[in-house]
Amino acid sequence: MALMANVNRADRMPMSPTPQPAQSPRAELRDLRISFPLPDMSTLEVISGISMTVAEGEFVAVVGPSGSGKSTILRALCGLLEPSGGSVLVDGKPVSGPPPGVGFMFQKDALLPWRTVAGNIRIGAELGGVPGDRREERVASLIKLLRLDGFENAWPRQLSGGMRQRVSLGRLLAYQPSLMLMDEPFGALDYQTKIAMGKELLSVWEAERRAIIFVTHDIEEAVALADRVLVFSARPARIIADYKVMLPRPRHMRSMRGDPAFTRLTEAIWSDLALPE
Amino acid sequence: MAFTKTTSGATPSSTPGDQPAIRRRRSQWRSSPVLGQIAVILALLLLWELASHHLYNPFWGSRPSMIAERLWELALSGHLWMHTSTTLQEAGAGLLLAAAVGVPVGIGLARAPRLARLLDPIIMGLYGLPRVALAPLFILWFGIGLISKIMMSFTMVLFIFILNVMEGIRTIDQDQLDLMKSMRAGKMYVAWTVLLPAVVPWIMASFRIGVGLALIGAVVGELIGSNRGLGWYVESSGGQLDTTGVFSGLIVLMILAMLANYLIGFIEKRMIKWR
Ligand SMILES: Nc1ncnc2c1ncn2[C@@H]1O[C@H](COP(=O)(O)OP(=O)(O)OP(=O)(O)O)[C@@H](O)[C@H]1O
Ligand SMILES: [Mg+2]
Repeated sequence: MALMANVNRADRMPMSPTPQPAQSPRAELRDLRISFPLPDMSTLEVISGISMTVAEGEFVAVVGPSGSGKSTILRALCGLLEPSGGSVLVDGKPVSGPPPGVGFMFQKDALLPWRTVAGNIRIGAELGGVPGDRREERVASLIKLLRLDGFENAWPRQLSGGMRQRVSLGRLLAYQPSLMLMDEPFGALDYQTKIAMGKELLSVWEAERRAIIFVTHDIEEAVALADRVLVFSARPARIIADYKVMLPRPRHMRSMRGDPAFTRLTEAIWSDLALPE
Repeated sequence: MAFTKTTSGATPSSTPGDQPAIRRRRSQWRSSPVLGQIAVILALLLLWELASHHLYNPFWGSRPSMIAERLWELALSGHLWMHTSTTLQEAGAGLLLAAAVGVPVGIGLARAPRLARLLDPIIMGLYGLPRVALAPLFILWFGIGLISKIMMSFTMVLFIFILNVMEGIRTIDQDQLDLMKSMRAGKMYVAWTVLLPAVVPWIMASFRIGVGLALIGAVVGELIGSNRGLGWYVESSGGQLDTTGVFSGLIVLMILAMLANYLIGFIEKRMIKWR
């Protein structure tokens, strides 16, 4: 069976809100515009008209140059940032303030230094409405999943950067969001741990089918994990390509790397990023 | 596209989870400086004693042996405890009152930046005011009893708490607050899990600085109008040209400040294990 990466160039085929069945997409951006005021009274246009949808249970990766506005879009989706134009919808409802069921894993881990590993993960469980008597169990299972065993009672200052990131991932998973916004979640991990975490994330995702928007600088990681890869242009950000990843699931990291479809797709994204139009 | 910041040696079997358990307690006593500190103090006392015998007339500077004798007498007569407890009560009550008022006010001002900006000149003005100069006024208003001294201590320390707590809240990582917001945490939850723990070190630092200032407040109040307390004892001894009495009072004050500092350091270690 020939695996085809369905290349869908946005510049030739403008992204129109794809006709959806009765059910509304998990997240939707319509002609989103975001600009920031600069000290000299001018404005910095970061997002100039982005439209995209994320379906229920869909895993969407976003790649793009540094400073292009990837984090900014996640902040808008989470209601932490007021767009200057267009609209942001989560579960069909316009976002004003953080919507329920949306979990955000920041680029920085933002752990509370006065809470232990378990304590930080427990915050997700507490705010995610995990009932009191099930919290400890949930926290313990996440600690195991994230290979943090033995560090339950360690303070964040005693952790390596990658471990901190795993705790932050644990907090997100404990929150049990139906839409996960992940901003370079594996950016500080070594190669092995990154592959292992990717695998764990996929197994959690395959079991629970929560929609994910996954920002990364790692093209291979994006292709290996996601259903779709969006390529952002440099600032002001537009979507320059929207690739559907047709690789079969469950994905096997090792064999996938030899797959011509995998290589073709990473090559295509690579050239998109290297040659911005 | 740098993504491999390795966290451990890359042998296939070692995942970071296998690292040895963490040493949680740092050794406290092995390099304890207490013995050295005591030795220095004893050496200084010895020098003082010798100097008072050979270099100057003890009428002007007293001497440790005379001071020790005086303290012993005062302790036996019960006067030592009366003066000490009076000053302790004044300074302690002023300090605690300042914390009780200063911490919430500091948190409130930090969370309401508009109000803080409005009140900024007043706060800085009062903070800059030499509050020692308020003593006569407080004696006039509150009499020569406990209240006027508590108020002196209170005004000396209050702004330390307000300004420290405000600064502490200002230094909280905005990402931590945004993260709480993204998970729709309530105000009380945020106050309890983020704001309060973040300012605890700043509150403890305020106590540290505040102890000395609270004692100054109490003593100044006593110097100006009172009939008991260590400040009063120093002042009345001075009036009788009794330098041994003056030094006895000063030394007790020093010891109080020192002990209070140790106590706060001790509590601090218990409360801020995460640092
Ligand atoms: N609060 C803000 N005020 C002003 N400018 C901002 C603000 N937040 C972001 N920006 C600007 O918006 C642009 C996009 O930032 P953003 O953090 O979204 O980039 P990014 O794509 O996530 O980059 P990276 O891959 O490096 O994380 C940057 O040029 C940044 O300077
Ligand atoms: Mg970013």
